[in-house]
Amino acid sequence: MIKNIITLTLNDLAIALQNKTIYLIVFIPLFVYVSLNLVDQNGADFQKIKIGLIQGERYSPVIIKSITAADNVFAISWLSHEMEGKRRLKEKNIDGLLVTSEKEPHRLELVVLTNASFRTSAIVQSFSALQIAAEGGGNNWISNIRPLQDSGIQKQTLPTWILMLVLLVSFIIIPAQVAEEKEKQLLLGLLLTPMREFEWLLAKLFSGMILIHLAVIFLHLLGRFALENSLSYIAFIGVGSFCFSSFGIFLGFLCRTQASAKTLGVLFYLPFLLPSALSDVSQKLHATAPVLPSYQFYEPINAILLEGGRMSKFPLQWIYLLSVGLSTCFLSYLLLKKRWLM
Amino acid sequence: MLIEVHDLTKVYNEKRGLLPASFQVEKGELIAVIGHNGAGKSTLLKMLAGWLLPDSGEVFVDGINLNNRPSLVRKIGFVPETPNLFGFFSVEYNFKLFARLFQTPFLRIEETLKEFNLLSYRHNKVQDLSKGLKQRVSIGRSLLADPPVLLFDEPTSGLDFDMTIEIYRLLKRTHASGKTILFTSHRPEEIKALATRVIVLHQGSLVFNGPPREYFRSGIHEKLCA
Repeated sequence: MIKNIITLTLNDLAIALQNKTIYLIVFIPLFVYVSLNLVDQNGADFQKIKIGLIQGERYSPVIIKSITAADNVFAISWLSHEMEGKRRLKEKNIDGLLVTSEKEPHRLELVVLTNASFRTSAIVQSFSALQIAAEGGGNNWISNIRPLQDSGIQKQTLPTWILMLVLLVSFIIIPAQVAEEKEKQLLLGLLLTPMREFEWLLAKLFSGMILIHLAVIFLHLLGRFALENSLSYIAFIGVGSFCFSSFGIFLGFLCRTQASAKTLGVLFYLPFLLPSALSDVSQKLHATAPVLPSYQFYEPINAILLEGGRMSKFPLQWIYLLSVGLSTCFLSYLLLKKRWLM
Repeated sequence: MLIEVHDLTKVYNEKRGLLPASFQVEKGELIAVIGHNGAGKSTLLKMLAGWLLPDSGEVFVDGINLNNRPSLVRKIGFVPETPNLFGFFSVEYNFKLFARLFQTPFLRIEETLKEFNLLSYRHNKVQDLSKGLKQRVSIGRSLLADPPVLLFDEPTSGLDFDMTIEIYRLLKRTHASGKTILFTSHRPEEIKALATRVIVLHQGSLVFNGPPREYFRSGIHEKLCA
């Protein structure tokens, strides 16, 4: 009995090795290790906090003196008026804008993009430390935080949910579907008809894009999220669904079986999702995430949904996503022509 | 000459694949391609069907090069050993999908369902059918576009006696309707019952090409079985 159990256990492990499931066992701890090293730690390289101050605003001299002295912590930009400061916040040129409090003129109000970000916490912590150093205690200089994105936590998480949905369809569902058609020789059967290779590829691409659009519409209907700048939003959902569906089809072509495709899908899903979605809580992730296509999709969606951004501000991201989609589509076409792993 | 095969080659590794093979097929022949497992039978048929790309060599069907796939799909039908049908869907759905892609009138579906005794199964999901019924659906589907050449890879593999006889009957009927057929087989009785010519492959090489009677008389069969 024990011999049988050992034999079957070894057989299961061999199957896991064969269909690459074992890679997940290695990959997930490795991914967590890398992510933990990317998330900011105490003593890690510190990037200066970019603070905007308004010319003509009557700041307390103690505060100005303290901020200026702490030039290893703060980089100060002097701005002509509050509107300019808000614009530069949205463009992410500065991390926070300081204005004098209307109720307590000797204290400050901090204007930030969003409350829940590593930059906001860094500013508050640094000011608290400066104030203790300068005055030895008393009231914190920052009396209030005013986020520009005051849309509520549900809406603030919407870009992350959308990214999750898009990547789920693209990296988990589509590769498995493509690999299933290869594994069961359904694709080869279809290729015995007058259908051309590119027709199959386009059909697969459209079905992926339709699934993504349906998922996004469903999410909006259930969450009752209204749309602003809907044309810009649709343009990015469209190009994003094209890019990632095409990527998913390509992943499917790299696998012989459904099981391998699912494993490969997860291997791509996590590294595409987490660094982009967590880029607001870590300086390091914020610096490294832009190399990923998922970030080039997430950033504009985030700006359009939460900051009233428009497509005209993100033409490079749009073109980048389109290029990745076209490149992976072309590679899939070549693999299909070569009957790769069929 | 309906099919001309010139130096067709596909090498997987030192021991598997098809070494340069050349032969011709006349219209209306029923050819059995035989050999041991790994001899290159399925590889040959898959290359003729366009499933596999050859390393070298050429195939012409009715004078058209096999590389020109869109012109040839209406000329060759292929029935693989394991039926590659959309199992979640009904028999009728599978037929309709391929009829649409072949731009074949739906009337042809009715005829095929009737011809293959599948009328009572038309709404059944393919995954719920027996292996023999799936094979019938697969053969029926390959005939939807009415191709002049049909390729069968081990058409009776894994079938019980009754279903095997049923498939023989289908093959004979299809052949009698004027089709040219190539099928792979291991079974001597199948070759005797059906084939008008035998092509023998051994370790990827074509070692015999002639009538069945000559094949059994030549002793090649015994040598291969030894």
